[in-house]
Amino acid sequence: MIIFHNQQLPLFKQLLLIAITSTFVITLTKSLTAQDDLLAQEERALQQAVSQVAASVVQLEVLGGLETGNDGPVSGLVVSNDGYILSSAVNFRPSFTSILASTPSGKRATATLVSHDYNRNLVLLKVNTTEQYTTASPVPHTEIIVGQWSIALGKTYSREVVNQSLGIISATNRIWGKAIQTDAKISPANYGGPLIDIQGRVYGILTPLSPRGQNPTDGTDWYDSGIGFAVPLIDILPHLDTLKAGKDLHSGLLGVSLKSGDIYDLPAEIVAVQPKSPARTGGLQKGDTIIKVNDVLISRQAQLRHALGSQYAGNTIAISVKRDDQVVTTKVTLVEKLEPYEHPLLGVLPDRNFEKPGTKIRHIYMDSPAQQVKLQPGDIITHINNEAVADHNALRLVLSNFEPLDELTLTYLRNNEPTTVSLELGNIPQQAPTISPHATPTTAAAADTLATGLIDLKLPEEKNECVAIIPTNYRHDVPHALIVWLQAPGEPDNENLQAQWAALGEQYQAIVLAPQSADPARWNPSEVDFIRKTIDNVLSIYTIDRNRIVVHGQQAGGSMSYLVGFSHRDLIRGVAPLDASLPIRAAIKANDPGERLAFYAFNLKESKLAKASAAGLKRLTAAKYPVTAVQLSDKAGLSDSDRIQFLQWVDSLDRI
Amino acid sequence: MSRLFVKRLSILRPLLIATLVLSGLASSSQANDLALASNTVQSKMVKIYGAGGLKGLEAYQSGFLISGDGHILTVWSYVLDTDYITIVLDDGRKFEGKIVGADPRLEMAVLKIDSQELDHFSLSKSVVLQPGARILTISNLFGVATGNEPCSVLHGIVAATTTLNARRGAFKSPYQGPVYVLDAISNNPGAAGGALTDSHGNLAGLLGKELRNAQNGTWLNYALPIAQLTTAVEDIIAGRTRPRSFDETVKRPENPHTLKSLGIRMVPDVLTKTPPFVDSITRKSVAEQKGFQPDDLILYLNNRRIDSLNTLINEIALIDKIDHITVVIQRDNNLINITLPGQ
Repeated sequence: MIIFHNQQLPLFKQLLLIAITSTFVITLTKSLTAQDDLLAQEERALQQAVSQVAASVVQLEVLGGLETGNDGPVSGLVVSNDGYILSSAVNFRPSFTSILASTPSGKRATATLVSHDYNRNLVLLKVNTTEQYTTASPVPHTEIIVGQWSIALGKTYSREVVNQSLGIISATNRIWGKAIQTDAKISPANYGGPLIDIQGRVYGILTPLSPRGQNPTDGTDWYDSGIGFAVPLIDILPHLDTLKAGKDLHSGLLGVSLKSGDIYDLPAEIVAVQPKSPARTGGLQKGDTIIKVNDVLISRQAQLRHALGSQYAGNTIAISVKRDDQVVTTKVTLVEKLEPYEHPLLGVLPDRNFEKPGTKIRHIYMDSPAQQVKLQPGDIITHINNEAVADHNALRLVLSNFEPLDELTLTYLRNNEPTTVSLELGNIPQQAPTISPHATPTTAAAADTLATGLIDLKLPEEKNECVAIIPTNYRHDVPHALIVWLQAPGEPDNENLQAQWAALGEQYQAIVLAPQSADPARWNPSEVDFIRKTIDNVLSIYTIDRNRIVVHGQQAGGSMSYLVGFSHRDLIRGVAPLDASLPIRAAIKANDPGERLAFYAFNLKESKLAKASAAGLKRLTAAKYPVTAVQLSDKAGLSDSDRIQFLQWVDSLDRI
Repeated sequence: MSRLFVKRLSILRPLLIATLVLSGLASSSQANDLALASNTVQSKMVKIYGAGGLKGLEAYQSGFLISGDGHILTVWSYVLDTDYITIVLDDGRKFEGKIVGADPRLEMAVLKIDSQELDHFSLSKSVVLQPGARILTISNLFGVATGNEPCSVLHGIVAATTTLNARRGAFKSPYQGPVYVLDAISNNPGAAGGALTDSHGNLAGLLGKELRNAQNGTWLNYALPIAQLTTAVEDIIAGRTRPRSFDETVKRPENPHTLKSLGIRMVPDVLTKTPPFVDSITRKSVAEQKGFQPDDLILYLNNRRIDSLNTLINEIALIDKIDHITVVIQRDNNLINITLPGQ
């Protein structure tokens, strides 16, 4: 501070002095901010943290593999000195031939994939080296606080220098309790690398995650978006020995179905307990409401998903339920896999022209429960277990609460006389039924101005071409089946497509939609979304029966048909691959009581894909999906009789 | 923190406190610094309007003044491919821009407007940035600013420094040299030609065009370091000629090595990306002498990563028969280096 000793200075001199001192102070301020402002100090602290962890980040190179994709180097984090590395599963495409890892001396060494954490999308690797790595310490739970600096590191651009992105911790307990969230830019440039704090400790391993799915690539579409995820290292370390022993970690399943509806509103009331599941073994019952998991109180279904989402198979948890105003507590050990659900069959096809309450029978399956209790075409099913069932869609939903061999009572009207019978539900036969085409309504068709024949349905925002074949006898009041045709790579031949399907489509009330790959030489898995858009477009124009939307594809198009079917369970009811196998990467999702999916596979005996395709169908059958397989004699493709059989299968997809 | 830094801080601390008390800015030093930088750069920025406007091609980009006489540095793009280039200064004044020269290899162009005494960046005072350094990018992102509205500022850090040709095939761009990779989402439509500065507003780079990584489909946010451009800019302004085009085809040797001449037979190419496994070795060949064995997996050729049989064949065709080849192979879990001599 400046102190004025001389009080006798003339005023103007005093002013002058003040002016000079202020100038001095301002200059001082400026030179200080230039050298040592808070920003620079902070930057130095952040760089200090980065250099502290940098040696624990390794560059990985994944060579070979069946799919093209990210071919560049990826990142991993050292978790023990002898060369165990955690990384994101997204970095490892199927059937890769080798992994190379950078070593502390700057060399490369081979690495082996030891185990997977399927719940958190991570892998553990072991580098084949005697060199000693440096580990980094984890941030404890209590110090993971929203708002703190976080730096995402990778070793993508260089083997020596880490690449970095700066952000903050933006949320904790994300993706059903598995991950923390950051606004640093998370992308293939740092998947597998660490998210660190300003003290040079590790928050977690960066990996794509999605609240909607558990495939390795789910969540990659959010790259660089400001939403990125890291699995806390502190959560993984207790399981490191399991992973080192080569044992995979899986999500833990309980085996209860909850009342469907808004998961943020409804309590966790159990409507079904799967047979042989941990829930059944632990004594949970239909009608129980789950109110506590371990020490976490549960009042809504979403909270239950949070409490269970981060649990591994093998974990034992305490569950408390409310049962008739009493609280019952039980311990259950979660499992990796549940006994798959199988849809039951009553054995009837509904008359789709029938509008009054109930379900009018169009066709009875041979040797089915319906035939055994002597139901006949024309009978109208009105009640199941004495509860009224509005129409055939409601009837299908009611039956999805049952499995084969379950018993129920059924009431039907014949000549307006009600009859009630008891029956035991059966299984869906592998053979498609032989049925004649559905009758058109007896009423006159309303005037319709929609285009028919071969029409162009290209979406303006997509570069892919798309055509459809609309039956010339199309009527807006007739629900049509939709067959989405995904051709094998090559130039499209729309005239041939029309020759094959136009007449049959008119007969069997089916629209054929043919979206085409952007590159005629290949289908890209990401085109699944484009295919969905084309289907939604058709749904918005034409009358489509939601029980009979089928994806049919040949070779690479057939592999795509599997992907489309599994990605859009809410829409697709059938998948019909022709000379194609289930893609290696496609995880078979559990059969869902509500979202039906059936398969109709055309196999070529001579094909090099025959073995792989048979293996895929075996997996689907084991997962209790209805699978129909037909052997084609002709290499040239489908004959008209093959197509008619197939259309009859499509026509029967609204079976009950 | 380093000892040196702690020591220096302890000397400065009393002064620092005094300053803060006097200026009364104790809590807002950081905000002020970035604010100061953001404001001082605006008067040096220009908005460029030219050709485009069809099929998602924007008819605008960014640029900045590099001389008081109206020289402007920007990227070379279709926007400049017109007789009428409009330049809008920070104060809203409009000028017609003339192309002084361009270097397609650097994807850079120098424009000029007819004016004087303009605020500008001096290329000779540009700074070099290290990974982790805080940065600002200033550009007319998405064309959101018009007339005298200031350009858009993003802040972030330097994520990495790399060269675009470090990964063959990943970045298909005429410019293959060093770049700053940024963690700000800086390279969107309209941003090309914008300025990259440090946190004090000192010029460090020129924001490049939108560029997608062909290998993983992600977009790259990057800038060309000014040092890469200085000579070219000086040449253009001085009227010295620069190459108008650049031959992108790599010079292929007339007599390259072949797998056959080396004595290596690979497994048949049956997949999109067949792993490059050795099937058999010709007896008495170079490969046999140097110890190649069936089932060896070829990983690197002259430090180029070989991810498939196809890549191997392409890379070999680029190596002249008289040159030696270094090969890294994987045999079981071991990496083995082999050098095959030239012939």
